[in-house]
Amino acid sequence: MTGAPDRVFDDGLQAERTALAWRRTSLALAVAAAGAGRLAAPALGVLALALAGLGLVQAVAVGWGAARRYRAVRRALTSHGDLSTLRAGGLPMAALAVSGAVTGLLALAFVVLDPHS
Amino acid sequence: MVYCSPGEASTEVGSTVTGTDAPGRARFPRSVFGVGDEPDPRFSLANERTFLAWIRTSLALSAAGVALEALDVPVAGGLRLACAVLLVCLGALAPVQAWWGWAATERAMRCHRPLPSPLLSPLIAVGTLLAGVLLLLGLLLR
Repeated sequence: MTGAPDRVFDDGLQAERTALAWRRTSLALAVAAAGAGRLAAPALGVLALALAGLGLVQAVAVGWGAARRYRAVRRALTSHGDLSTLRAGGLPMAALAVSGAVTGLLALAFVVLDPHS
Repeated sequence: MVYCSPGEASTEVGSTVTGTDAPGRARFPRSVFGVGDEPDPRFSLANERTFLAWIRTSLALSAAGVALEALDVPVAGGLRLACAVLLVCLGALAPVQAWWGWAATERAMRCHRPLPSPLLSPLIAVGTLLAGVLLLLGLLLR
């Protein structure tokens, strides 16, 4: 701890709201991974399981990273008031954007190939 | 793309000049964190939440497109496929808006410039509208 007083530094609870937004996203990723694995299982078998596992690992990583980031944001806001000490910068965003785009492309493959018809 | 020069915006009277991150340990991406000065953290966090909202929108669009086909929703075949393809394409496009919007907004705030307009959101709005129309037609024509 920095010894800074744990006062309310921001009436808008920005850090909490941002942490909750990350958590919602983590839950959405977990659901998407589980659903994708279930739908791809008949066609891809073990590969579908691996795919779902990868998605779940990312969901857990996002949730874990969110908790870490929340603590770092709190510490930054209570000590010096800017976010320049968040070492991760935009890396979590970049990773999430890439995986979102990949998810969209996998969904496109599913819709076009449609193993159901 | 217009960049403000490093430290350019941190010259106002009375501001403690933090400038850009120290060289060598600049945060990723440099095109964002290498310019201007640190904005109000509330705005950076709001920008982060907007990014996350776009990511969840992307997941929802992809899931909607997949669900149309996977659940064999009773909609005229060709229209259903068109709607599903459109939705998942929008789902693949939304993360582009998410990342571009986050980076451009953060850069604008660091340089004290007006915020950029969301580049792809008109396209995504029109696409979603079109998907709804296709779905409605498909329901009426089945």
